[in-house]
Amino acid sequence: MQSNAALEYDYSVAKLFTYTTILFGFLGMLIGTLIASQLAFPELNYMLGEYGTFSRLRPIHTNTVIFGFTLSGVFATFYYVGQRVLKVSMAESKFLMTIGKIHFWLYLVGALAATISLLLGYSQSKEYAQYEWPLDIVIVIIWILWGISMFGLIGIRREKTLYISMWYYIATFLGIATLYLFNNMAVPTYFLTDGLGNFMHSVSMYSGTNDALVQWWYGHNAVAFGFTVPIVAMVYYFLPKESGQAIYSYKLSLLSFWGLMFVYLWAGSHHLLYSTVPDWMQTMGSVFSIVLILPSWGSAINMLLTMKGEWNQLTENPLIKFMVLASTFYMLSTLEGPIQAIKSVNAIAHFTDWIPGHVHDGVLGWVVFMIMAGLFHMAPRMFKREIYSKSLLETQFWLQTTAVVLYFTSMWIAGITQGMMWRAVDEYGNLMYSFIDTVAVLHPYYAIRALSGVLYLTGFLMFAYNMIKTMTASRELTQEPQFKSPMA
Amino acid sequence: MFHWLEKNPFFFSVGVFVIISFAGLIEILPNFTEASRPVIGLKPYTVLELAGKEVYKKDACIACHSQLIRPFKSETDRYGQVSLSGEYAYDRPFLWGSKRTGPDLHRVGNYRTTDWHENHMWDPKSVVPQSIMPAYKHMFTNIADIETAYAEAVTVKKVFHTPYGDEFKGTREAWEAHKPTVLAEAKEVVKNMKNKDVKDAVANGEIPEIVALIAYMNRLK
Amino acid sequence: MNALMIKGLAFAAVLMIATLAVVMSLDIDLSDPINIITMLGALVIAGLSAGVSIKYINQMKTDTATGELADENWDGIGEYKNELPSGWAYSFLATMIWALWYWFVGYPVNAFSQIGQYNEEVLAHQEKFEAKYKDADSDTLQQIGESIFLVQCAPCHGETGDGLSGKSQDFSSRESEAQVLDIIENGSDQLHYPMGAMPGGMAFGEDAKIAAKYVADGMKGDAPAAFGVCAGCHGADGKGNDGMSPNIAEYDNEVIKHVLANGKKGVIGMMPSFKGRFTEVQEKALATYIQSIQQQ
Ligand code: HEC
Ligand code: HEC
Ligand code: HEC
Ligand code: HEM
Ligand code: HEM
Ligand SMILES: [Ca+2]
Ligand SMILES: [Ca+2]
Ligand SMILES: [Cu+2]
Repeated sequence: MQSNAALEYDYSVAKLFTYTTILFGFLGMLIGTLIASQLAFPELNYMLGEYGTFSRLRPIHTNTVIFGFTLSGVFATFYYVGQRVLKVSMAESKFLMTIGKIHFWLYLVGALAATISLLLGYSQSKEYAQYEWPLDIVIVIIWILWGISMFGLIGIRREKTLYISMWYYIATFLGIATLYLFNNMAVPTYFLTDGLGNFMHSVSMYSGTNDALVQWWYGHNAVAFGFTVPIVAMVYYFLPKESGQAIYSYKLSLLSFWGLMFVYLWAGSHHLLYSTVPDWMQTMGSVFSIVLILPSWGSAINMLLTMKGEWNQLTENPLIKFMVLASTFYMLSTLEGPIQAIKSVNAIAHFTDWIPGHVHDGVLGWVVFMIMAGLFHMAPRMFKREIYSKSLLETQFWLQTTAVVLYFTSMWIAGITQGMMWRAVDEYGNLMYSFIDTVAVLHPYYAIRALSGVLYLTGFLMFAYNMIKTMTASRELTQEPQFKSPMA
Repeated sequence: MFHWLEKNPFFFSVGVFVIISFAGLIEILPNFTEASRPVIGLKPYTVLELAGKEVYKKDACIACHSQLIRPFKSETDRYGQVSLSGEYAYDRPFLWGSKRTGPDLHRVGNYRTTDWHENHMWDPKSVVPQSIMPAYKHMFTNIADIETAYAEAVTVKKVFHTPYGDEFKGTREAWEAHKPTVLAEAKEVVKNMKNKDVKDAVANGEIPEIVALIAYMNRLK
Repeated sequence: MNALMIKGLAFAAVLMIATLAVVMSLDIDLSDPINIITMLGALVIAGLSAGVSIKYINQMKTDTATGELADENWDGIGEYKNELPSGWAYSFLATMIWALWYWFVGYPVNAFSQIGQYNEEVLAHQEKFEAKYKDADSDTLQQIGESIFLVQCAPCHGETGDGLSGKSQDFSSRESEAQVLDIIENGSDQLHYPMGAMPGGMAFGEDAKIAAKYVADGMKGDAPAAFGVCAGCHGADGKGNDGMSPNIAEYDNEVIKHVLANGKKGVIGMMPSFKGRFTEVQEKALATYIQSIQQQ
């Protein structure tokens, strides 16, 4: 083991990505709240002319929260956690500092350009892969830059054994790289036609059922390697670090990791149940989804057991609260997903609001909670000031918890209701409900969801305010806190 | 063994890469050639229809509409015959969607018509009072990009051998020569429409997005 | 059980009860196997997530951290060498074994066909339905017709069959004056009645108008002379000579049948054909229902 002499870590890149996490989080959730309101109150579609309809904005919501907010959070925490668990400072390598800075600025420019392109209607119409080819290329470059940063840091590390969080960051890097490349393969039309038509336009390399297969092999695993793997990396660092507890079990970490890597990829076809892909492949997706419960729960259980005997921390430290609740929402969504992947359940659940319900108990309860807790933990250490307000943090916690519960219960009921109404037949065996009946009945649930959006967004604004105050105005610290983050 | 891996980032990464790769291969490879075979009699999209598909993508109708009729009686009663793999052979990208905020559209051409779409896209509430679908009035003035649609047809012909005729060539002259065909098709659609501005535009040789979109909707059968 | 566990499970129970209440208020048949499985699935999600996570959270209250620490330490984070939680380990093993068994042996992966299952479902229903309602009375037919109408036709004709302010056919009366005039002028050749096409120019000017008005008003009172030509084909009563040409006095089964089979294009717009979408009984039911609208 190395000496424990304090290293001066350089957080400049981590700070930059922290700012964009806050910015894109706000924008993405603002749009989320807007589109949720549009489904309840369609008049809201007409505020921005052709650019303000639900359909134009929905991909902007998903891309802003995924490639804006979540990815920023992943990069911010990586540039913080990476240095610390590898015991090497960015400041030790000019080269890596430069790469890190380019990584950030290219990311920022790319993200803005990508958002504008979607607003203008440039879209490949493949979920979570909408950006057209020039932006795909920018994204690939950004990804390579991150890879250089990561493996560069690993190359000059002092701590020889990779910490669990690093396993997950590496997997994030490799997973997304492979998946993104294959799914976005497209032929630009401009070059094969002597410059006819729009430069941005391309056609997918795959067609029909094949395209669907590649898309959901990607789509499912974009969820895996975007919303799960890097967030697990965060919880494995921030929870023990904030609480001062040692990880409950190395064996459980190990088996969960390799189990997750192995099983996740096999489950993609649960997005294509009852479609035109072969039956055996659908069954494969269903079956492996069930298996997937265990490696997913493994990490969550490992975290909850890490906190055993520490009830007082759970009640006293709001950051611990956030992380424990995040772990339980992770358990909820990784049980809900597999159940929805059972063919008979999917016959009802697919295409309904139950799926966005499942999505958001994952993203709101797990991804956002975990990223916010991580950034709150980092702030006193990066900015050398204590967290501005504990009471604000407590209020935010309850507000957002209420919001998530409202979101997922309303969409749960809405989805099951709609799914069953689509199938319902009257005593003569004819369809009982016209399509519009099944839309009209959802109004109250859409309204509740819109309300939950407002609450959640308000909570996020509290987070942003608390962070900004922490950066600028709260009491300065002379010494880095060992574990529990100091807060006023 | 695992401890060793954790000290060797290179082999660790290789291990992760291998373990995540082969599931993909099993999922994707076996079916690849078979699934791309078109059903008998399937015609590639005309240029106007392709332009309409572009409008569908641009305005992200996929956010609310699926194009996949699953094999349940409740779905075939509502939307028509079950969807078959070969029907999608020329769909790049596939547009099955994953959310039905609105109804499935895979066979909407069978049971909705030009004038209905015209009313509906202008103001959905005027035909379905409880509708929550947005109105797309801008499609009546925005001009569709048929040149790009033509470029797409030529590209898929060159690269994927989609059976377009020999006249589809990647030159400006070939495009100019094909334009009247597209316009003629648009005129057929406009015959059943009432909007004066749209009619005038087509008479002047320009094709508003709505015309292309309706051509695409009518094609979905 | 402790308080937290009770609260957690109570929440799950409330969610399930609320879901059931909403679904049942919509007359949904909960004995449908798919619906049962879905409800059970929902129950498992709510119950198991709450139960298991709270079980572990409760250990925060009662247990203390124990075990042998590993040598390594990252940024102050240690790691115990604890064994796997046995419940988790056995479940993982069990699901792996089950998965392989299910995929390769237990479930007939090679024998199952979702299309086959679908065909059986449709066939079973069709036989039962046709047999049961072949000779249904008109009240039953009207009800069947209404339910089909609301799903398939209402998007154009409106829920009350009023044609949505002129956007399509209004069933509260037969053709409007403008529609009849159009046909008198231009003829019509799309419905495929035994008599074939109706030629255009059957009447002109005032005559055409008078005939059209008479037909549109429901053919009440004495027929004007101008209707004489029409009667030749449609009959003096306008009822179409036993199905040789359309009944223009009122909706009858034949009109509906021909329109469903061929679609119709007229001054209002175009109606698509529904050929092959309905069974005999369903068509008859639709006709009965549409007639009932006109009579209201
Ligand atoms: C906010 C969700 C939403 C968006 C976005 C949306 N639709 Fe719809 N759509 C609906 C709903 C709800 C219905 C059912 C009510 C109705 O007919 O208006 C519907 C119905 C339809 C129908 C009638 C289908 C039928 O069987 O009755 C068509 C065609 C259609 N939409 C086309 C489109 C096109 C094309 C776009 C994109 C330009 C689009 N929709 C965007 C929600 C949406
Ligand atoms: C030569 C025979 C003939 C004569 C004369 C004739 N009709 Fe017809 N009419 C038909 C036939 C056949 C059809 C069905 C046309 C089709 O297939 O579209 C028809 C259709 C119609 C329809 C449309 C019915 C529907 O439901 O779409 C109307 C209204 C109508 N006739 C009114 C008249 C009137 C009024 C006159 C006299 C001015 C007249 N017809 C004279 C043969 C005739
Ligand atoms: C896409 C829209 C649309 C749908 C769906 C539709 N219709 Fe129509 N229908 C029309 C229009 C438009 C007309 C008027 C045609 C004209 O005369 O201009 C019409 C006319 C009719 C007529 C009168 C024809 C005549 O000769 O007078 C009948 C009967 C009819 N529809 C029955 C039905 C039934 C039954 C259904 C459902 C199974 C149905 N329609 C579904 C659009 C539709
Ligand atoms: C204020 C909080 C939010 C609100 C109100 C909200 C609302 C919505 C709405 C209304 C939709 C469309 C659902 C539909 O089409 O029926 C949606 C989709 C989606 N949102 Fe959010 N959202 C929020 C935050 C987030 C966050 C933080 C993330 C990710 C980190 C996220 C990820 C997604 C994804 C992935 C989808 C697509 C789901 C699918 O296609 O099934 N959302 N959101
Ligand atoms: C064991 C783990 C999981 C499994 C087996 C699983 C399974 C599923 C299933 C079956 C669907 C619905 C597909 C459909 O019918 O349309 C789905 C959708 C989705 N899930 Fe999960 N899920 C899991 C975990 C998660 C987690 C943790 C998150 C996010 C934090 C998540 C995010 C999503 C998203 C974004 C979608 C929507 C995809 C779309 O656009 O259609 N899932 N998942
Ligand atoms: Ca892309
Ligand atoms: Ca989706
Ligand atoms: Cu998935």
